[in-house]
Amino acid sequence: MKKLVCLALALCMVLSLASFASADAAGKVYYLNFKPEADQAWQDLAKTYTAQTGVEVKVVTAASGTYQQTLTSEMDKKDAAPTLFQIGNAEGVVTWGEYALPLDGTELMNEMTTEDFNLKNADGQTVAVGYCYEAYGLITNKALLEKAGYTVADIKDFESLKKVADDIHARSAELGFDAFTSAGLDGSSSWRFSGHLTNMPLFYEFRDDGITEQPATVKGSYLNAYKNIWDLYIADSAADAKKLSGYTGADAEKDFYDGKAVFFQNGTWEYSALVGEHGMKAEDLAMIPIYCGVEGEENAALCAGTENCWAVNGKASEADQKATLDFLKWVVTSDEGTAMMAKEFGPIPFKAAKASENVFFNDSTALLNEGKYVVTWAFNYTPDVDNWRAGIVSALEQYSAGAADWGEVEYAFVDGWATCYTNTH
Amino acid sequence: MSRSKKMADGALTSPLIRKPIQRMFAVFLLPTFVCFCIGFLWPFIQGIYLSVHSFTTTTNVKYVGFQNYAKAFADQGFRQAFGYTALVAAVSLVLINVLAFFVAYALTQEIRGRNLYRSVFFIPNLIGGIVLGYIWKTIIDSLLPVSMSIQANYGFWGLMVVMCWQQVGYMMIIYIAGLQAVPMDMIEAARIDGANGWKTLWNITLPNVMPSITICTFLSLTNGFKLYDQNLVLTNGAPVRRGIGQTEMLALNIAKTFSTANQRGVAQAKAVLFFILVTAISLIQLRATRSKEVQQ
Amino acid sequence: MEMAKERPREKMTSGQKALSVVFAVISVIWLLPIAIVLMNSFKENGYVNSELFALPNANSYVGFSNYVNGVTFGNYPYFLSAGYSVYITVVSTGLILLCTSMAAWYISRVNDPFSKVVYYLCVFSMVVPFQMVMYTLANTARVLRLDMPWTIPIVYLGFGAGLAVFMFVGFVKSIPLEIEEAAAIDGCGPLRTFFSAVFPMLKPTLISVGVLEIMWVWNDYLLPYLVLDITVYRTIPIHIQYLQGSYGRVDLGATMALIVLSLIPIIVFYLACQKHIIKGVAAGAVKG
Repeated sequence: MKKLVCLALALCMVLSLASFASADAAGKVYYLNFKPEADQAWQDLAKTYTAQTGVEVKVVTAASGTYQQTLTSEMDKKDAAPTLFQIGNAEGVVTWGEYALPLDGTELMNEMTTEDFNLKNADGQTVAVGYCYEAYGLITNKALLEKAGYTVADIKDFESLKKVADDIHARSAELGFDAFTSAGLDGSSSWRFSGHLTNMPLFYEFRDDGITEQPATVKGSYLNAYKNIWDLYIADSAADAKKLSGYTGADAEKDFYDGKAVFFQNGTWEYSALVGEHGMKAEDLAMIPIYCGVEGEENAALCAGTENCWAVNGKASEADQKATLDFLKWVVTSDEGTAMMAKEFGPIPFKAAKASENVFFNDSTALLNEGKYVVTWAFNYTPDVDNWRAGIVSALEQYSAGAADWGEVEYAFVDGWATCYTNTH
Repeated sequence: MSRSKKMADGALTSPLIRKPIQRMFAVFLLPTFVCFCIGFLWPFIQGIYLSVHSFTTTTNVKYVGFQNYAKAFADQGFRQAFGYTALVAAVSLVLINVLAFFVAYALTQEIRGRNLYRSVFFIPNLIGGIVLGYIWKTIIDSLLPVSMSIQANYGFWGLMVVMCWQQVGYMMIIYIAGLQAVPMDMIEAARIDGANGWKTLWNITLPNVMPSITICTFLSLTNGFKLYDQNLVLTNGAPVRRGIGQTEMLALNIAKTFSTANQRGVAQAKAVLFFILVTAISLIQLRATRSKEVQQ
Repeated sequence: MEMAKERPREKMTSGQKALSVVFAVISVIWLLPIAIVLMNSFKENGYVNSELFALPNANSYVGFSNYVNGVTFGNYPYFLSAGYSVYITVVSTGLILLCTSMAAWYISRVNDPFSKVVYYLCVFSMVVPFQMVMYTLANTARVLRLDMPWTIPIVYLGFGAGLAVFMFVGFVKSIPLEIEEAAAIDGCGPLRTFFSAVFPMLKPTLISVGVLEIMWVWNDYLLPYLVLDITVYRTIPIHIQYLQGSYGRVDLGATMALIVLSLIPIIVFYLACQKHIIKGVAAGAVKG
């Protein structure tokens, strides 16, 4: 018995020593993940990698809306700072560029099929690589739409969208479903409107004005379009517009997979949840552009772009940097890694990418093949993004409940932008 | 203050025990003193130092003079937070103390089950601001037609309910202690002189519980000014009107300013102003109530 | 003590009876929020928002499943945060009681200029709001590597020393010197004198200070939130705050269950030492 215990103890010691030794030699990886919905997938992948190579990979996910705050405080920890983090946009390059290791010529970069989504600093060095791209629009339940007597082809612009949605809403009692899912403004859902939906007025304004870098002010010249679509969301849905702050992302998702609503504004990343987790049929699903009443919008494709770019902490120890780059290479080349990436992020721009069965990406590609224009991610220019969005959310909340007029949203959009810009420059 | 002076002058000591203790400075005083330096003194001094600097991390600071203070004063949000905090503190001061006094008064009468009632009133005080705020947010938001984060006045009265629920029991304990120390013979004498209940309460009881009133007003006022957890959980400052959080209190405003990387100098200046404000209030208020005590 | 009660009024007026009834009703209302949370902790998530004030029924009742889900919910194991909360509270309180009582004895018995300065600084620290030092304290703690549950009691001792020292000094100066002198004549060193003679006499103040510190540390949110590495260590208040609106899925049923779990230790603590708590509060209030 005693011997057995001794043996076990010795074994433990050897193992722990071994793991220490290997961790020391190989460095370690600390990934500060940006996407809460992909947290589990990253945790699992990290475990697989550690099991295969013995390299420690720690994945921490910031709560939604707090990434910058978390990153700021985590970076303060000199030798326990993240070795791998996320730069979302040009502003991120300004703030975090000096922490980012230039990645040109690394094995990771050599695996890429396009550099369209990468971020460069002022010297032209690649400081972050876009590891996936995403598209969003109105996820549509085609089966329900047909039940109501329409097809996707009937929706070509805001006018036709409104006609269909108003009609479905009017007959919702008889049909058993409504047009839109709840436009929840709880923190788990509000980014769909303060982030993604605000892209519509931003994109068109920047297009008109030829803006290609972060502006200090915006005019809000397309805010009437934003109002059109928001009014439609809250009018043609079963949710109580006075209580939107209580509706969560899960509520909207549930409306959709339970067949209680036809349209659900969300992105390609929802595919795995809807089909994988909640058993919806892929052939019933489509993603159509968000129409909001802008001239020429019948030629628009989906909103596509990325705010998912990996940056490697250049201030981390060399061993850690190498471990991180090795890990990334493994993620985009190994069987396990590419499978996870295909499942969570769709078609990734790397040579070894696995095909994605995500129908939303196919819709996106189809629209592009028809020669329609991409609505790029203009919101990537947002200054002090969490605060700007928080202002929009509060304004939308009050407007929807009838406690404030639309001017409040305009103020949050235009003046809020200027304030956020001054505060961070 | 007066208390500490007494101690300094009339401290009990004798050379017989003084010397040996002094020799063991490192055992008795040093640990507390070192921790006090880490946990209070150094951060306090550094705080004042940083308030006249611009910085994102403490390793990279730039002297900017009183610019941070100028920015803090010019900050609409900070001024709004100041007004709102003063309002919250004033209204809650009155509500909490009136309620607590009458509960205490009633529960020193001969009422069946009063010990049980006292316990019940005290319980919420043991629950921390975060948990307590979460409970009430859920309840209040489902009672109201719209959420507290939409209507600023709902947020205000919601906060009052929460503060009263939490603090009435605490103040009640102090008032009960004060009421129990009122000399019975004075009350008896007043009664024999034919004073009715209200008159006795006003002329005999109230002046005699003045020390408790001092303590309670002081406590509830500073509690009101320093409130953070409940404010954070209930509304987090929302609704935002014209870019300004309508229910944002000073402590929350300062914490939020710290979270924007290049506003940290301004945040620290706000914190110094906040410190001066709280200290001034404590001193003025203490002096005012103390002098009243002396008069009677 | 209870002399106000000994009012020699024989007649139990009908007014007093009415008052008793009124307070019975108010007491029930006073506890209603806790009852509502308890009730909803047994309901399915979807029913919490829609039927907050209804008792669980056949549709909404889910037994203890919220408790089972709740302990792993929110990307952080609940019992880990509970463990950290208990550990930090117990160790911090113990450390504060031991160190500050010793310091207070030193201050009042030695009474040299340095002690006086320390004493006045402690008194001063009692009025300083936490915001004044929130950034610099968190920073100092991080630099000194005090950002872990094992070391955070040092920060608590530092920031909480003021009130404790003040209360202990107030009591120590009322202890007559004779006992300590006798001990010194008998050849006791200061340590022995303190622990065998002074410390036992401090018992009432130890309890008062202990109660106040426990209530403070257990419920504190901002200090641990700023000082601790919250990606690894969370206390109960931090855990509850992080359930709000984060991570995409909000499970209200499970949240209610977690709140109930976090109320249980408080209520047990209260029932076990109600008398001391009330005394502690009354004593601590005199700090002005």
